[in-house]
Amino acid sequence: MSIGARTKRFDGPSKVDGTALYPGDIPLDNPLHAKVVFSNRPHARMVSMDTSSASAVPGVVTIVTAADVPMNEYGLTMFDQPVLVGVDGTGRSAVPSDISRWEADQIAVVIAESIEAAVAGAEALVVAWEDLPIVPDIDAALTGDTLVHGYNGKPTNVFYDYKIRRGNMAEGWAAADVVVEATYEMPHQEHAYLQPEAAVSYIDDEGRVTVKIAGQWIHEDREQIAHALDIPDDEVRVIYPAIGGAFGGREDMTLQIVMALAARKVHALGIDRPVRSVWNREESILGHHKRHRARVVTKWGATFDGKIVAVDADVYMDAGAYNYTSNKVLGNFHVAIAGPYAVPHVRIDSMAIYTTTVPGGAFRGFGAPQAGFVCESQINKIADALGLDPYEVRRRNLLGEGDPTITARPLPIGITMEQVLEECATRTDTWRESAAERDVRPFASLPPSDSAVRTGTGIGIGFKNVGFSFGFPERCEATIELGGDSDEYDSATVFHAGADVGQGAHTVFAQMAADALGLPVEAVGREMSDTATSGDSGSASASRLTWMAGHAIGEAAAVAQKAWGDGDRPARGHYRYEPPSSEMIDPDTGEGAPFITCGYVAEAVQLAIDVETGHIEILRMVCVTDAGRVVNPLLAEGQIEGAVIQALGYTLTERLVVHDGRITNPRLSGYLIPGVADIPRDLEVVNLELPDPQGPWGIRGIAEMPMIPCAPAVIAAVHDATGVWIDEFPLTPDLVRKHLRAAGIT
Amino acid sequence: MEVSLTVNGRNVSSDVEPRTLLVHLLREDLDLTGTHVGCESGYCGACTVHLDGKPVKSCTMLAVQAEGADITTIEGLANGELHAVQEGFWERHGLQCGYCTPGMIMSAAGMLAENDSPSEGEIKHGIEGNLCRCTGYHNIVKAIEYAAAKMRGDEPAEPEWEVSS
Ligand code: FES
Ligand code: FES
Repeated sequence: MSIGARTKRFDGPSKVDGTALYPGDIPLDNPLHAKVVFSNRPHARMVSMDTSSASAVPGVVTIVTAADVPMNEYGLTMFDQPVLVGVDGTGRSAVPSDISRWEADQIAVVIAESIEAAVAGAEALVVAWEDLPIVPDIDAALTGDTLVHGYNGKPTNVFYDYKIRRGNMAEGWAAADVVVEATYEMPHQEHAYLQPEAAVSYIDDEGRVTVKIAGQWIHEDREQIAHALDIPDDEVRVIYPAIGGAFGGREDMTLQIVMALAARKVHALGIDRPVRSVWNREESILGHHKRHRARVVTKWGATFDGKIVAVDADVYMDAGAYNYTSNKVLGNFHVAIAGPYAVPHVRIDSMAIYTTTVPGGAFRGFGAPQAGFVCESQINKIADALGLDPYEVRRRNLLGEGDPTITARPLPIGITMEQVLEECATRTDTWRESAAERDVRPFASLPPSDSAVRTGTGIGIGFKNVGFSFGFPERCEATIELGGDSDEYDSATVFHAGADVGQGAHTVFAQMAADALGLPVEAVGREMSDTATSGDSGSASASRLTWMAGHAIGEAAAVAQKAWGDGDRPARGHYRYEPPSSEMIDPDTGEGAPFITCGYVAEAVQLAIDVETGHIEILRMVCVTDAGRVVNPLLAEGQIEGAVIQALGYTLTERLVVHDGRITNPRLSGYLIPGVADIPRDLEVVNLELPDPQGPWGIRGIAEMPMIPCAPAVIAAVHDATGVWIDEFPLTPDLVRKHLRAAGIT
Repeated sequence: MEVSLTVNGRNVSSDVEPRTLLVHLLREDLDLTGTHVGCESGYCGACTVHLDGKPVKSCTMLAVQAEGADITTIEGLANGELHAVQEGFWERHGLQCGYCTPGMIMSAAGMLAENDSPSEGEIKHGIEGNLCRCTGYHNIVKAIEYAAAKMRGDEPAEPEWEVSS
């Protein structure tokens, strides 16, 4: 059987011999080169833009500006960003196009014979700006002195909110024997996929505006391009070649729309040449969204025996200049504030807030890591305040099947939080005894003094919804074609749009098809990620793709088999899977069942900390997930390990500095993602394959869960080692020292 | 300026600007796009190639500095069949998106050419200059161990993977 097999990824050979083509590698016949020009103004009104000297630069062919955008607006879930900022025309959009609200708002695309000429053209653009007050952070935004999107009619920069009102708070506080209050600050995180944005565009043989790019959802890219160009979807074609990582960072548009505009403008000039654009690292970091920074002010009450009786929270999420997916991220953040715990009395108000900084958007975990930091830190503090074991206090509060969550409905069936927690407890049983024996050297340069090094352990747990939630019309399509000369088919081709961002989706699609059809996996061909050949798969995000595609491929296989039996040659089966729908939560009470299904995770860390320098070294780490039945353990293991290390980066080293509306460290030399020297000495990855009762083959999802409980587990371990709670991160040595000093550890 | 060098066993000459980086000569003039650009500032290692047998980051060198040099890129590493390191990365799933992979492989191959029995610490040291955002490095280390065993003529160790149910 192909499900559960350690099939080597099909694109492996091309990725080890250098022949895999990422968007910047595609060979082109006589290409033009495009330079996308950023406003470089966090908040300003464009007074004028003169392109005449830029056009006169030798080699410049043409320049795309706002005047070239028929419908000058962009937004995955609400249109609030001009595709190109400019004074000339906004098409029919309600969004004023003349204001830059972010330093990387795009203002023009200079197309030229060479990269050098395009850059020279960009430098020759003459733009006059009237600067507007910068709204650098949540505090400034909440004063309401400057409205980032004043045209929306709201007297505030808060543009989206959710509530939860459950039980009776006075009763909750009356029942509480201990109250834990804190304000948590969560940082931005940069995706730092290794492949910076790049794209190629041209008009294909059938006259379609065609964009080859690395993204996460070809049909959404197509829809956004078609909307801005004001043409039907089927006049646009999007193709994904090899994709150099994504992690949510390619969910919003960067080059998609402007490169489609570029191809069209070049074509309109009678020039039949493809256009290429490749961003450098700095453009990538400046030019795409980040994990949201946020603040949560919260207060929890618990009884002496550790039962949580009240949760009160205000969530302030910095959406940056534009919504992107902030309204959706906020929803996930909001309902995950109390984690996988039953709480009778709850008040939560969550808001997404505009500032004139880099937009927040999708990033592995989608609001759940921020919520998980708050919730798991709170329960760790409650355990500490009551002198209870951190595992035990969790056991006493876990949601079981049918228990109402803080949104008054149960989690989807198949809850395995308890099994995951117990597995983690078993794996860490012996840690305390062995801790002292370990040779500890938290940093490489100088040996630390013995008295300075302390060790500690900590845990965190969490869950993540699989699939788009809150009532979004989820769907996933698949087509299968069967071939063979005899009575029995002996080969098949799967047509699927789903993005292989590196996780190995295309290999997994073939495995699922092979299993459903009873064929060896080698007999399954793949036609992938081209809107011209595949129906809408939905996105490679929300840990959803294997789950949704499994349903669609399984059903498409059955339809194809029937067609084969009916004598069709070739026999084709197409299926559009639509899962049971989820619900939007009530705007006043927060009641509702927002999720389709969930995956579960627990993480434990043991670390050493040098209290004199603030350096931390992770000695051991266990990540227990329940991803349900695993299609390919080789791929799953790798994905979980990668997620754990990304979570450690988020927790320990990745600090994006945003000052006065500008990112001041947009380089890998200043924004530190983990290198091989930063990984834990021991990392144990355990997957409980507890089948999801709703999942195809019992599959759940893998991608996001390990991102969620890492920061609170590390911070609990720091507390275990030092007695100090830190309510912010990344735990760079200077930040750690600041907190230790404040606590009198000098 | 004219620059002449050997690339993957082939003598090539190219007319380049003095400021042209080696990586751009390889990618743009010679169409060897397996050498990737992740940062252009010497930090990520995606552009690693061999210069006279030693790994170098091709974004940190000018093309003209490679005058007369013998360059091997990822495209030139296989010799009819995959190099042991390439095989290891595929066998042991040392890659996901694969963007860092050519550079990782070139760094690892350079290290193994000097030492075919590296310790885990030596392997890590050998790829310290290469970043990967997808894998968490665990399988990259395993892939290099696999390759080292192959190069010594040993049987690579069985992979471990833990699933409880
Ligand atoms: S591109 Fe050369 S080190 Fe990053
Ligand atoms: S496999 Fe994606 S960066 Fe290494």
